[in-house]
Formats: sequence, C-alpha cells, structure tokens
Amino acid sequence: MSDAWSLAQRRLHWWSAALVVLTGALAVLMVWLPFSQMLAKFLAYQLHKTFGLLVFSVVLVRLVLRARHPAPALTGLSPGVRRLAGIGQAGMYALLLAVPILGWLTGQAAAGPVPTTIFLVIPVPHVLDPNPALYAWLRPVHQVAAYTLLALAAVHAALAVKHHREGVPVFRRMRW
Amino acid sequence: MRRAHLQRMGLPRRVLLPALFAPTIARAQRNTWLLNQDNAEIAFSARHLGLFTSQGRFTRFEARLELDATRTTDALVEGRIETTAVAIPFPGAEDTLRSEAYFHTARFPEARFSGRAAGITDAGGFTITGRMRIRDIEQPFTMAARLAERRPDPRGDVARFTATGRVQRSAFGMVADRNFTADAITITVGVNLLV
Ligand code: HEM
Repeated sequence: MSDAWSLAQRRLHWWSAALVVLTGALAVLMVWLPFSQMLAKFLAYQLHKTFGLLVFSVVLVRLVLRARHPAPALTGLSPGVRRLAGIGQAGMYALLLAVPILGWLTGQAAAGPVPTTIFLVIPVPHVLDPNPALYAWLRPVHQVAAYTLLALAAVHAALAVKHHREGVPVFRRMRW
Repeated sequence: MRRAHLQRMGLPRRVLLPALFAPTIARAQRNTWLLNQDNAEIAFSARHLGLFTSQGRFTRFEARLELDATRTTDALVEGRIETTAVAIPFPGAEDTLRSEAYFHTARFPEARFSGRAAGITDAGGFTITGRMRIRDIEQPFTMAARLAERRPDPRGDVARFTATGRVQRSAFGMVADRNFTADAITITVGVNLLV
C-alpha cells in the first residue's frame, strides 16, 4: 500500500481547502460591502456562490476517489486518535456538501431574487421561489454550518501540524 | 392583486368603462376616483448587467383620476408619490434609493406626475401622455395603458387598468451605478376601480 494519497486526491484536497477559505472570506466581504457599492457587492456574491459550488463539485469527485482508492497506510497514531480523526473528516465531508446546498437554497429564498451563476456565465437553476420565512430559517443555518465547517477545518489543520511535529508524516501523505 | 378599499367618487359604475372605450355614450358629467396604495400600485423595475431584473414599488402615493364621459380622450390623472416610501426587497437598497445619488428624499420628498389620455389604440388600449417631476426635474412621459380585467365584486364590478412606461433615470439626474444598473427604468401602474 502506498504511503501517500493519489496525486488527484492530494491536489483536490488542497483545492477544496483553498476554495473553502476563499468562499468564507468572500462571504464576510459580500455582506460587509455597503449597498452603495452595488457592482462590487454583486460580484462578491457571485464569486462566493461560484467558489462555494466549486467546493461542492470538488468534494463529490473526492468522495468518488476516496471510495475507489483505499487510504494510504499511516503509522504513529493511536487507534483512538485515528477514530476521532475519521469522525472529524466525515463531519467535514458532510458539511462540505451540505453548506453549498444550504447556500444555494438561501440565495433562492431571499425576498429579492438574484440569479445564481458560475463566474457570471453559467446559470445555475433555482428550485425555490422567494420565500422570506424560509430565508429567515435557511440564512442562519447556512451561516452556522459554514462557520462550523471552518472551525472543524481549523482544528483539522492544527492537529495535522501537531502530528507532523510529533513525527507522524501526515503532510508527506498529503503533499501538493 | 389588492381587492380591499376600492374607492369611488362620482357617477354610477356603468359609466367608466364605456366612457373609456366607447366614446359614443354621452354623459356630460365628470367622474373622479381617488387612487392610493390601497387601490393601486406603482412599481418600477431595472435591468442589471443584462443578467437580471430588480423590482421595487412605492408604498405611499395619491392620485386623482378624472373622466368626462362625453369626451373620453380627456381622461386626466395627476398625483404625487412620497419618495421615502420606496420599497425594494434587497437589504440596504432602500437607503441607497433614498440617498442623494437617487431620489435624494431629504431634499425632494415628493415626485409628481400628471397626464392625459391621448386616444384609444387599435389594440383597445390607450396612451397616457404627461409630465413627470422627480428631483425637481420635469420630463415628458408616456405610458401605454389598457383594461387588464373586469371582475365582479360584492360592491360592483372592479375594472383593473394597467399602464407601462419607460423613463431614463439619467434624465432626472440619477446617474449613479451605471456600470451595474441600466439607464432605462420601466414603470408599471395598476389601478383597481370600482365601476
Ligand atoms: C463551502 C462553501 C460555503 C461557505 C464556507 C459559505 C459561507 C458563508 C458564510 C460564512 C455566510 C455568512 C456571512 C455573514 O453573514 O457574515 C454565507 C452567507 C451566504 N451564502 Fe454561503 N458559503 C458557501 C457556499 C455557498 C453557496 C454555494 C451559495 C449559493 C450558491 C451561498 C450563498 C450564500 C448566501 C445567499 C448567503 C447569505 C448572504 C445574505 O443573506 O446576504 N453560499 N455563506
């Protein structure tokens, strides 16, 4: 068994990490921008949606690859720690799929309908009509789920650094 | 569509619609209807980047519609809109529309319009031509109007008229955000008259 993830899995891991951070940063920016800066605000929303939907697509591919290729061997971590890491990773996969879907629904339920596009070019269909009551529910759920994802990712990264310092070759397995 | 609070002042209900569409009916009296947010709507829409359309409306306005049954092309309408009562479902957008760059409501709390029916078209609609005053700038204005529906109501028939027209916002000094919002603004009016 190889001691590293496949090239595609490694690349897609780092792509999804970068996209999640970027999408989170754009979320803060788009909400913060005043309405008077309409164009910038609109573009920030569209990029947030674009990168968020890319996260979803990348994670789907990662799950297919994960199902096809067994995880590389890893020594140096106790079974308990591995189990916890597994639970954390499963939670991240679930949120990586759920957060974009919730975001996609949030945007559609908002009272003022704005299209969802990928890079302003590819229209993404909507399945909901504007629904302020649903929006009032979806908006915080998407936000809390997104911050939970970012928090889990931060813990995941911090623990990876800790294991690396303890001599467990986690970064070598996931090198770019 | 709003059904409540339909107001009518003036003559019997059978007068209005024939008056608008059949000039042969002769009744030398004038009917006046008072219109406001309870029996009418004033909405506007704009295109953004050619990608989508946003829609807003005014929630406080009043207008007077006068019709002379014997001279149908002489219908008169005049009214005022409270510019602070602009409503648009995007967070923060209402403040922007009230700001100096748009309606500048602190200085120009009112927009005014007046118009007169200018003949019946072949399609059964009619044209309203008049003047619109926004931010103290007056511009000519044309709307294509028509009877959209007539339906029974416990108090009599309700005739719904709709009218659509276009203005260039820059003609009223609203030139902000041209990289995002088109210059052409479509204005749609709906009026429910108890006839
Ligand atoms: C990994 C993916 C995503 C992350 C991490 C994420 C993160 C966030 C966060 C943190 C907020 C709240 C911002 C704040 O209030 O400060 C937010 C709001 C929002 N997100 Fe996402 N998001 C993601 C994907 C998406 C997708 C795919 C869409 C749409 C296709 C989307 C649409 C929205 C919308 C519409 C809001 C609400 C903004 C508002 O109410 O003005 N998000 N997102």
